[in-house]
Amino acid sequence: MSGFAFASPAILFALIALPAIWWLLRLTPPRPRSEVFPPLRILATVLKREETPAQSPWWLTLLRILLATAVILAIADPVINPRNNPLASGGPLVMIVDNSWASAEDWERRVQTADLMIGDAADAEIPVSLTFTAEATHDAVPTSAIVARERLAAARPKPLVPDRLRAARAVTEALNGTQPGTLAYLSDGIAAPTDGDMLTALAGLSPRDMQLIEGDGQKSLALTGATNNAAAMSVAATRLKTETAQNFSVNALDQQGRSLATGTLDFAAGANTATATINAPFELRNDFARLSVDGIATAGATHLLDDGFKRRRIALLSGDSGNDFQPLLLPLYYISRALEPYADLIQPRGGDLAASLREILTSNPSAIVMADVGRLPEESYAPLRQWLNRGGTLIRFAGPRLAAAPADDPLVPVRLRQGERALGGAMSWADPQPLAAFPNFGPFAGMAAPTDITVRRQVLAEPTPDLNERTWASLADGTPLVTTREVEAGRIVLFHVSADATWSNLPISGNFVEMLRRLVQLSRAGGAAEPQAGNAGAPALPPYRLLTADGILSTEVGSARPLAAKVGVKPIASLDNPPGLYGSEEGFTAVNLLAPNTTLAPFDASAASFPIVRQGLAGGEAWSLRPALFAAAFFMLLLDTLIVLFMNGGFARLPRAGRAAAILAVMVGAFAFAPTGDLHAQTPSQEPAPGAQAQAQPPAAPQPGQPAPPAASQQTPDPNAPIEHAKPGDESILERLDTTHLAYVITGEGDVDRISEQGLDGLSQFMTYRTTLEPGAPVGVDITKDELSFYPIIYWPVSATAPMPSAAAISRIDAYMRSGGTVLFDTRDQFSSLDGSGGTSPNGERLQQILANIDIPPLEPTPNDHVLARSFYLLNNFPGRYNGSPLWVEARQDARNQGTALSSSGDGVTPILITGNDFAGAWAVDAQGNSVLPTVPPDDMQREHAFRSGVNIMMYMLTGNYKADQVHVPALLERLGQ
Amino acid sequence: MASIGEIVDQTPSAEILSRARQRAILVPDCMVEARRIANTVISGWHGRRKRGIGENFWQFRPYADGESLARIDWRRSARDDHTYIRDKEWEAAHTVWLWADMSPSMMYKSTYAAVSKESRALVLMLALAEVLARSGERIGCPGIMEPVSARNAAERLATALVHAPPSTGLPQTEMIRGASDIVLIGDFLDDADRIMQRVAPLARRGLRGHVIEVADPAEEIFPYSGRTEFTDPETGEKLTSGRAESVREIYRNAYLARRENLGQSLRRLGWSFIVHRTDHLASEALGAVHGYLSGNPPRIIPNTSTGVGA
Repeated sequence: MSGFAFASPAILFALIALPAIWWLLRLTPPRPRSEVFPPLRILATVLKREETPAQSPWWLTLLRILLATAVILAIADPVINPRNNPLASGGPLVMIVDNSWASAEDWERRVQTADLMIGDAADAEIPVSLTFTAEATHDAVPTSAIVARERLAAARPKPLVPDRLRAARAVTEALNGTQPGTLAYLSDGIAAPTDGDMLTALAGLSPRDMQLIEGDGQKSLALTGATNNAAAMSVAATRLKTETAQNFSVNALDQQGRSLATGTLDFAAGANTATATINAPFELRNDFARLSVDGIATAGATHLLDDGFKRRRIALLSGDSGNDFQPLLLPLYYISRALEPYADLIQPRGGDLAASLREILTSNPSAIVMADVGRLPEESYAPLRQWLNRGGTLIRFAGPRLAAAPADDPLVPVRLRQGERALGGAMSWADPQPLAAFPNFGPFAGMAAPTDITVRRQVLAEPTPDLNERTWASLADGTPLVTTREVEAGRIVLFHVSADATWSNLPISGNFVEMLRRLVQLSRAGGAAEPQAGNAGAPALPPYRLLTADGILSTEVGSARPLAAKVGVKPIASLDNPPGLYGSEEGFTAVNLLAPNTTLAPFDASAASFPIVRQGLAGGEAWSLRPALFAAAFFMLLLDTLIVLFMNGGFARLPRAGRAAAILAVMVGAFAFAPTGDLHAQTPSQEPAPGAQAQAQPPAAPQPGQPAPPAASQQTPDPNAPIEHAKPGDESILERLDTTHLAYVITGEGDVDRISEQGLDGLSQFMTYRTTLEPGAPVGVDITKDELSFYPIIYWPVSATAPMPSAAAISRIDAYMRSGGTVLFDTRDQFSSLDGSGGTSPNGERLQQILANIDIPPLEPTPNDHVLARSFYLLNNFPGRYNGSPLWVEARQDARNQGTALSSSGDGVTPILITGNDFAGAWAVDAQGNSVLPTVPPDDMQREHAFRSGVNIMMYMLTGNYKADQVHVPALLERLGQ
Repeated sequence: MASIGEIVDQTPSAEILSRARQRAILVPDCMVEARRIANTVISGWHGRRKRGIGENFWQFRPYADGESLARIDWRRSARDDHTYIRDKEWEAAHTVWLWADMSPSMMYKSTYAAVSKESRALVLMLALAEVLARSGERIGCPGIMEPVSARNAAERLATALVHAPPSTGLPQTEMIRGASDIVLIGDFLDDADRIMQRVAPLARRGLRGHVIEVADPAEEIFPYSGRTEFTDPETGEKLTSGRAESVREIYRNAYLARRENLGQSLRRLGWSFIVHRTDHLASEALGAVHGYLSGNPPRIIPNTSTGVGA
């Protein structure tokens, strides 16, 4: 359909003048610069060839001739593609235009083609009926050509699949029996299921002439799906034309439209589907927001990814906050190191479990990791349960606390045996166990069986019939290592080993990272669903960003309706829900144009029962060559000027660098004109500029995973607050920090509190006298409101008759113990059950009530080799007013394995001490320094030992396991031997 | 575009009168400058009671390596184991012939130099005349002025130059008699062989010669580029170079080779050869030639391309 004609051919006679111009140009040489030069004779010997050009060089002349030719041709105004195409008269021109996604790439040409036909109709004064197949409403009533042109100009391609049958019916209805002249169908060339019906409907119109106009369809390509694999993201695509092998590159873009990674789609010849693999690190893949095919700007060639690909928000919770000076011993250290690269971590600030859980659940994490949390505060179970039901993933790690927790914990996947199982100890036949190969179900399926992991200690599951299928990883002897249970929409996963490296070396192996990564991938990205969502079933998500036909996200939502999201069903784009993102900035669902596994097939018109004339699109508009020619002439003029300047040495005076820069500047200046000239001559480009894309994006939407800073924790006074924010209580805080104080719990019973104060006073005096520690006056603390963190130890005389502390107060004590403090519970009841019944005393019962809600580690009576027994004095027992009650401390984990080891467990100080010996009673002195209460039996040596016990306890509190250091062993042994 | 070089004072032979007037205007300027330079040179002298060119014995001194064997006094040397040279005392009554080239090529001045070659040559000649006249030497100009011994010899030489007919090429030598010194100042752009053909007979007649080549910087560094047409001021011959910067290196090599060739030929005669560029101070060349005349060749040899060749 290409043609070539001159608007004013007469001007071409001017070309006859070209030989004359040639002759004239040849005669004018560039003038040399004249110089007097006395040593000419010397110069003559070196300058052999005498250069006396009487004429310009031939190429310069040719350039000038070309320039003249270009100008003459430009004035003659050549036009490409004059068009001629007959329209059948006798009825209205009926045009059905596909403005579907596939038409976006060559939309301008389609409009051009339609416009030319409308122009022909206008010339023939035929009414025009114009229908677009991807519109919601059809107005197919024949109108004048002018109205049709306006509608054509206003029409835009839609990011939708055309609904041709509806359009054909609308045409039939609108024509109302009128027989159309020419029926032209501008198809996007892609088959749709209803094509046959449409053709039948059109045949029913019995047009005089039917034209099917199609583009080449070379760029009809659609991305149909993206799957996030372990190592890469694979992208499925389909295309329309399958004759030749084709290569496309697929870009993965982030939310700002920046390209992050690229894959290649390799279509083999004859194949209409292909898969690209985008290799990128997992962290990078989390940022993918959109995939688009390079060079094709259609909605089909863009695939939106929703937050199924997003980073997860993961909360970490530990039973033991430990201290920051020994990070490697923190239970959460390896977990956070493993998760950090691909998850947003939330770590609550306070040590109070209940408050932390509240804080965590407010931020609605995808998963919560609990490391060695045995028992949760009672009121925390319900919200955690709720969160689980809504789709949360709870990942738990075992540990001493979990092992000691009661077996009825509802938040473990399997029923656990109490206590842990040690492998490879001195009294055990079993060796430390390696891992068995991962089962072929569950998230770890496909991972290589790890060979470098040994487990020395684990918690055991009670065998149940379904234990096997709940086990995702097990040891070589078959005992489960990772078990799971689904809780409604959520899931609980338990690692039967601890999260630090004491029970196994799993946390320090590379498999740990991969296992955690796969587990986290299982969890729902948007966190647990909102509660109302769970109830209502199908929340309506408002349109947030919609895809334009050019494959750009825009905030223009137009007439799009909210999307009724159904859980587990991939939404399909429709007229009401065009492709785009639905939801809000916090979380959204992507609606893509094509369903997964769609393939594109060519439009098949052979089913039509009437003859169809096929044609291509107009080969571009009939455009004039004049601007291009003028631009070329202008360039040649510039070039000629530069050449002449150069030949005459015009650049000779410039310094060398300046010369190059000047030439470059002139060239750049010249080329700056070039695109403008070309643009006028060509079809205006519809390539979206990257900037435009970025603008259409939500402006730097914050990651949905960012946790809001918890407001609650801001309320408590921070002891580390800077001085300038001085508050009324600051002096007392500073005073408490300057001097170590012994503290006791005010029980509310006057005599108990008095003895406590006198007892601690006596101990303070004793320590001042005997040791370098000079404590301040004892402090009575109200555990419901006083800040506890100033005191290394709090003495708590348990009294059954005192009021029971509130749950909040106990929770604060729990937090205090968790953050490194120690509570010395004294039931003072060693001899209260003298009747021999062995029953628990009222004070003991009260202690059990108090501790019921606290996550305490397993306890043991102080072993002889415990640091407590030698932190200052060498002691065998710890008497108070009474003698005989053991002093209970946190059980050391490895004590039973390492029989000879003198070191105490871990590094921490036991958070809890329980005795029944009434320490305070033995320590109590009055103002004159006399003992207040007698010891039982009255023995001064026992009182002395009681004081020594107090000193040892204080030293142990303040120096930790310093005395357990192995370097002291020989000296201690020597002294013990005497 | 302004050209680099120009002919400052082109005087066709038909306009002798106007040229004489111009020269008369030029000469007083040269005189003043010559006096100033002469004073600076004189300040470095220590009177005439020193060795130099003359007849009388002044001293014996040990022979130093590099001196001419002809100067060894064999009679004195035979007395002991050392070799001696007999120095003569500077003798006043010595005739020095001064000559400057006045050909059209000397009128050339480029933008790199402040004065033309001819101007610099005249300045050098008159300054030498002034310096030598103060020392009581007899000064002459071959073909123009017979040797005179007068305090105002420089003025007289200038006057003679004003009235002299224009001459080209090397000087007429029939006036020169006996052993004397001759100082030739010019650009010596002719073929070295042709110059030597004229100079060699003079040397055979016993003249001691000193040749000062006055060159313009543009001739030496060849700062031309682009398409250039060169014109010879003497013959009017034209030569066009398409890209003058492309021959710069070859030209410079040829130019320096000619100079080297000439210098070697002259030195073989026992003459001294001094190169002087018009962008340098005239006193440099004056000091050098004075050193040669007084028998103290300059020890410190500046850059060969700019200063003095020994």
